[in-house]
Formats: sequence, C-alpha cells, structure tokens
Amino acid sequence: MTAPAPAPATTSPAAAHAGKYLTFFLDAEAYGVEILKVQEIIGLLPITRVPRTPSFVRGVINLRGKVIPIIDLRGKFGMEPVAGAESCMIVVEVQGVQLGVTVDRVSEVAAFTADEIVEPPSFGTEVDTGYLLGIARSAGKVTLLLDIDHVLTTAEVLDIKAAALTEGESSDQR
Amino acid sequence: MSSSQPGPSDPSAPSAAAPADVLDDVAMLLVQLEPGDTAELEQVRQSLARLARATEDFDAAVALGGAATQLATVVSGGDEAQAAAALARANHLVESAMARLDATRPAAAAPAPAASGETLPDDVDADLLRDFIVESRDCIAASEAALLALESDPDDVEAVNTVFRGFHTIKGTAAFMGLSRVSEFAHHAESLLSRVRDREVAFAGHVADVALRATDMIGGLLAAVEAALGGAPLDTPDGYQELLDELVAMEHGGAGVGAPGPATRDRGPAAAGRTAARGAPPEHHDAAELADDPHPAPAAVIGPPPASPATAPARSGPPDGVDRRRGTDRRQGTDRRHDAELSVRVRTDRLDRLIDVVGELVIAQSMIAQDPAAHAAQNQILASKVSHAGKLVRDLQELAMSMRMVPMKPTFQKLARLVRDLAQTTGKQVELVTDGEETEIDRNMVDVIGDPLVHMVRNALDHGLESPADRVAAGKPATGTLRLSAYHAGGNVVVDLQDDGRGLDRAKILAKARAKGLVFTDKLSDGEVFDLIFAPGFSTADQISDISGRGVGMDVVKRNVESLRGRIEISSAAGQGTTFSVRLPLTLAVTDGMLVRVGAERYVVPTALIHMSFRPERGALSTVNGRGEMVLLREELMPVVHVHRLLGVPDAVADPAAGILMVVGDQEKRTALLVDELLGQHQLVVKSLGAGLAAVPGISGAAILGDGRVGLILDVAGLVALARTRDEPARSAA
Repeated sequence: MTAPAPAPATTSPAAAHAGKYLTFFLDAEAYGVEILKVQEIIGLLPITRVPRTPSFVRGVINLRGKVIPIIDLRGKFGMEPVAGAESCMIVVEVQGVQLGVTVDRVSEVAAFTADEIVEPPSFGTEVDTGYLLGIARSAGKVTLLLDIDHVLTTAEVLDIKAAALTEGESSDQR
Repeated sequence: MSSSQPGPSDPSAPSAAAPADVLDDVAMLLVQLEPGDTAELEQVRQSLARLARATEDFDAAVALGGAATQLATVVSGGDEAQAAAALARANHLVESAMARLDATRPAAAAPAPAASGETLPDDVDADLLRDFIVESRDCIAASEAALLALESDPDDVEAVNTVFRGFHTIKGTAAFMGLSRVSEFAHHAESLLSRVRDREVAFAGHVADVALRATDMIGGLLAAVEAALGGAPLDTPDGYQELLDELVAMEHGGAGVGAPGPATRDRGPAAAGRTAARGAPPEHHDAAELADDPHPAPAAVIGPPPASPATAPARSGPPDGVDRRRGTDRRQGTDRRHDAELSVRVRTDRLDRLIDVVGELVIAQSMIAQDPAAHAAQNQILASKVSHAGKLVRDLQELAMSMRMVPMKPTFQKLARLVRDLAQTTGKQVELVTDGEETEIDRNMVDVIGDPLVHMVRNALDHGLESPADRVAAGKPATGTLRLSAYHAGGNVVVDLQDDGRGLDRAKILAKARAKGLVFTDKLSDGEVFDLIFAPGFSTADQISDISGRGVGMDVVKRNVESLRGRIEISSAAGQGTTFSVRLPLTLAVTDGMLVRVGAERYVVPTALIHMSFRPERGALSTVNGRGEMVLLREELMPVVHVHRLLGVPDAVADPAAGILMVVGDQEKRTALLVDELLGQHQLVVKSLGAGLAAVPGISGAAILGDGRVGLILDVAGLVALARTRDEPARSAA
C-alpha cells in the first residue's frame, strides 16, 4: 500500500479504492471501512474477556449463537482507552472469518470517488500507515480509509488465516 | 432416499422410444435381471419384440423375434434352465445389436460409456453419482456384516442373500451410471456369491476371504469414483486386477475354490429345499399371503375385482389375530425397503446448523423465562404461555439431538471384520460376541471413537488372548472370547471390551513402573496400577509383550478418549481376562460442565475431568520453599494451581482454604485447581472460540451460558501444563 514514491493524486493506486465506505469515529478521527466487508452494526453486547490474549483483543461475544472475537480498534491503534467512549460494534468479515471491532460511533455510508482519495502521506516511523488504503478528502473532511484485512490479519493481532484453516478442517470432519 | 432418482429398474420404459434407447433399456434390464422374476422377464420380452419391429436389419429382427418368443414361453411357465438359456441368447443378441449400433453411430460420437473404464462418463449426473456412492457404501457395509455372519453360520441363507443383493444392486446401478469397471467387478463378486448361494462352493476359508476382499475392493473403486468426481483421474485401486482374476478363476471353478466341504454335501436335499425357498423374492410374499388368507371371500363379495391385499382386510374385517400375523409377515419381508422409504438423507452441515439454532432457541427461551416481566404477578397468563413454549422448545431440542444419533452397529461391524482378520494372522481362535449394537451415539463421535476401539481390539487380540495351546494348557477353551458391548449409563455411552485372556500382571507392571521412576510406593490399588499402562512411554520404550502386552500406544488411546471428554477404565484379573470400559458422552455438541467463579469471571470445567472438589483444611496445605503450594488429600500430595494467576483474573480468592480445590488430571499427576466458588452443573452447547482465538492456551472452547453471555471452557490439561512451565522460569529467576 505504501508506494515508495508519492504519485499524483488522480493516478495513485489509492484511487482504485473508490467506492462506498461505512464511516465511524474513534475520538475525533473519522475512519472508513469498505462497505462490502461490513456484515452488520450491533450495539455493545456483554464481552467475555479471553485470558492470555493481546490487550486489544477485547474478548468474545455471543452473536446470535456464534462466538466471535472482538478487537478494540483504539487499542490496536495505540490510542488511549476512554471509558464509555465506545457505543457500538461493527461486524466485518475478513477472509471468511467474522470479527467484531468496537468503535465510538458509526457515522454514515459515504461514497468516495477516485478524485477524492489520495495516498496516505508518510509520517515517518511515528505512524504506521500500512493499515490505510488511502485518505479521502470530501467536503472539507478527512476520512482515513482502513485496510481492514490488513488491520486484522497482521501476525501481531491474530493468525486468522491459520485459525480459519484449522476450523475449516474440523468442519470437514463432521 | 432414492424416490426422486430414476430407479434402474424403472418399469415405465418408454413405449415409443428410439431403437437405441430401447436397446439400452433392454441391456440394462438384462444386466440386473434375476431369472425367476417373471415381471422383469416379461419386460425384456416386450422390449425385444419392440426392437424386432423397429430394427431395419432383417436377420436381426428375426433373431430378436425368436428370442422374444422363447422368453414368452419361459414367462408362461418354463423352468429356470430354459429361462437362463433364453436370457443368454437375448443377451448375446442385444450385445451384437449394440455393437452394430455403435458402428453406425457418427464417428465423432464418444465411445459407448460401457466400453471405457478409464474416465467417468461425460454425461454423468454428479448428484446421482454421489447418491450412488452413498447407497453403494451402505450396500457394502451390509454385505460385509452379512459375510461375517455367514462365516460363523454358513447356513445363514438370509445372509447370503443380503450379500448377493448388495453386489447385485451395485452392479445394476453402476451399469446404469456407466461405471463399467465397478459394474464388472460387482458382477464377478456376485457370481461368486451366486455359487455360494447355489451351494456350488462352501463359504469358508479362501472363498470367505476373497468375498470380503471384494467388498473392500468395491469400496476402493467407489472411493476412486468419488475422487474422480472431484476432478482426479479415475484410478484403479491397487490389486484390482489380481482380485478380479481371482474372482474370475473362482467363477470357473478354479483351483482356488475349495471343494464343498463334506458338511455341505451331506446336507443334500435339505439344502436344495432351502435354495428353492430362497428363490422366491420378497415380492412374492403378498401373493403367498393372499393365497393363505383365510378370508378372501368377503373381499370378493364387496368389490367385484379382487381387492388389493391392503384393502381386503380393512373392508372384510378379519379377526384381529389374522391381521396381526399378516402385519408381522409383511414386515419381515419388506423391512429393509420400508426403512429406506421412510428415511431422508440430510447433509450433516444442515443438521449441525439445525442443532445450533435449536441450541440458541433454548437459550433465548430460557432468557425469556427468566425475565422478571414473565413472573410478575399480573402476568400469570404470560407466564403460562412462556412455560408452554419452553416445553415445546425442550421437545424440539430433544428431537434435534436425536436426529444426529446413529447406532453403534456399523462401528461394531468394522471391529468384527478386524477381529476376523487379526485372528487369522495371529493364529488365535477368537469368538467375538457383540451386545448392544443398537445403542445410539452422536454421529460425529462415531468417527472419532473408531480408532481407539480398533487399537484396543488389536491389543486384546495381540496380547490379551493367549494362543490356543496356551489356553488349553491353562485349562481354558481353545477359543477365546472377545465381548464387545455398548450401553447407556448415566447420560453416557459405555463401550466395554472384555477378553478372557491372561489378564494384566500387577506385579510386572509395578516393577516396570518403578524401574521407570513412575511410582515409588507399593500402596496402589489395582485400578491405579492398571492405569499405569496409559502413562506415555510406559510401554513403547521396549518390548512389553512379556507384561501381558497391553500398553502399545495406550496413552494415545487414553488421550483420544479424553479428547472426547470421555474416560477409560480397566479391570482385570490375572488369568481370567481384562475389561476396558470406555465411557463417552452421548454427544460432543452438548457437554456437562461445572460453572465456576474465579474473581468476577465465570469459567466452565468439563464435569468429566473433575475427580472431586473440596474445600481444604488449613492443616492439609503446605508450601515448598515458601512458594509452591501443595495440598494433602488422602495421603496424596498434589500441587495447587491458582487458576486466577494463570488467567490473570483480578480480585480472586488467593487462599486455598477460602476457595474450592478441584482435583483434576491423571492418576500419577493429579493437580488441584483453585477457584473461588462452584456455581453449579449445566448442560452446555460447545462452540469453538471463534476463528483467530482457537489456540489460546488454557482455553479449549466456549459455550453460551444461560444469560446469553459467552463462557469459556477451561482446557484443564493445558492449564496444568501452563502452570508447570510458568513455575520453572520463576524458579530460575529466584
């Protein structure tokens, strides 16, 4: 995602990410996640903490009988936890696996055109922009477009792919 | 099951079909025809006559017409020899007609499916083929069971017929599917069986062997077809040609066929009588019954055309006794078919989903039932409605669960086959007695317990049972008995494997364990000593066959059983035999769990893993080097594992004397887990922890608790291991 040389905005690979995004807030920052990855938005459900997992794994919830893990995006992005800030969960499907992420509030579904999307600028080592597909500027607002697959599948979060594989195998045995 | 599938013997043969189609129909009919089945013969005759009219080749028309006429005489009362001759002729004619037809077909046309054995036919219906594979596997399983029954009782005419029918059905359907190789093989297997049926060869020794191998081979062929469906090339299983040659050789009375034993020959007229009686297929039952019916007249009086057997008794109202006799008679004749018609094959993933959803429904319902609004004084009517719905939901759950239950019978049959083969290779004489085959178990469990049982049976035969000479020397009958029984007990399925062999030798096991440093005391109960054979590495290290042999891989067996949340127990008496009892939960989907509180969190511990729970006296607790805590229970010292520390739970009880200790673990490695409180035992639906969290140490899964929250199931063995590894770095740091 991070092209070595910044290209003109209109032809950058980031422009290929034009489309509809569900936007949400963490603190004052607006984020967008591709609408096709989103399965549903649910209110906060009681979370069961899972011991011995990284701190940004909030735990698991019972989503209509299915047990799915919940990732704390604030924690994942190294943002300070704010008690009571989060109001809902977005359930996404990443590589066939259901996961929930907690966010402060969901905003809207916005369509971004190729013109509006630019490559994320480099902040040096201070901010990892690898999680971003690009940045959308629309009506004077900036929305950070998340590469949700990347956010949730990097080795430091969860080895989702491996886990999904083993689950697939076990269901084959049935 | 197959109601939607055009049966190979579909009688609705098209009347105005093209000659080629008619020809195919006839060929099909001929392949699966049983001489003696008049209805089918008549169909063949009609088709031949149609062909004779349709064909343009004058000679062929005459020949076909002749064959049809010959068949007609057979139909109207010829003997079997005539029928066979007429059929052979018809067969020949149809084959040559097909060859001619193939020759006249456009050159571009694919070779006739029957001629190619290397690939699947192009026009094959994959769904149909899958159904065929599933059904054929049932046939094979039934055939195998019948073959084994036949071996112990060679006079079992019904068993011969079952096998024969199995091969026959596979042959016919495979031909219909264009699977020429399967069909051909089944044909030869069937031929062998027909010789057994007709008492031309005795079913013993080599014949039995070949017949059983033939069932295996058909299984292999089916597996190849299944693989080919997935895109793989259609392989020939190893040894196919050899076995086929052997079958063919036997068909022609080759050297491999043992001459009929004297016993068979002596039977003479009696055997012939049986064969004749057997010759009447089930279809004839009705006719025979009708003839027997003591009350045919009233039916005839009421309705001018002779009433069908079904309506006759209803109208004429014969005495009860007669009616019942008729009912049972028919059931015996048509039981198999009846069952097939009344069952539906359902994909297991759908079934699993159904059970999941029902599980959720149960929880949702209990949440409603526990809602204060449902219990408020002014809501009496609501409360009764809720409780009514609750009853229905529980019924539904029971029903859904029962759908997944299957009898143990197929598992036992596989073991029976294993016992047979092992007895042959080890030269031991064994009689396998099975009991409780109808005991039901979750179908997911069936697959998983198969391996441990195989292992145990192998051990029992290899090491448990003595050789015939040793047995006689020990004053026992030369033939050992292996008793395999299954039954339900206390919400579990128990499978017992009992042999009357030499039994476990307590002294030798103890000596061995001491040498390996597993035990330091002689004060062990027999049960504790026998449990030592499950210790990893106890027996695999060196030759153990001198210690009554048990033990090769028994740790694996135990681990497998425990992974199913089951237990395994041994009882044994020297010289009298050994009994292994495997106790398994009825289903893996639902488990009995003890809900425990640790701090503010709740966890589930599988009840099967808890030996006991107690609150220790302070005097029973001691520490080692000021840190490792131990508890003394009935002279057994075991380490205390603080669950809250391992799981990082804040504000939990840290003083064992103020909490509850749960004793878990193996005989020689018991551990006491410290928790705050026991909250009660529940039946829980087990779920995976969600993808991505599958490998969390110390946690084996999740369950939805009564309040809708997720409860984590503790992986007891994992926790204990975790506690050990945690201790060591801590010690080295200190």
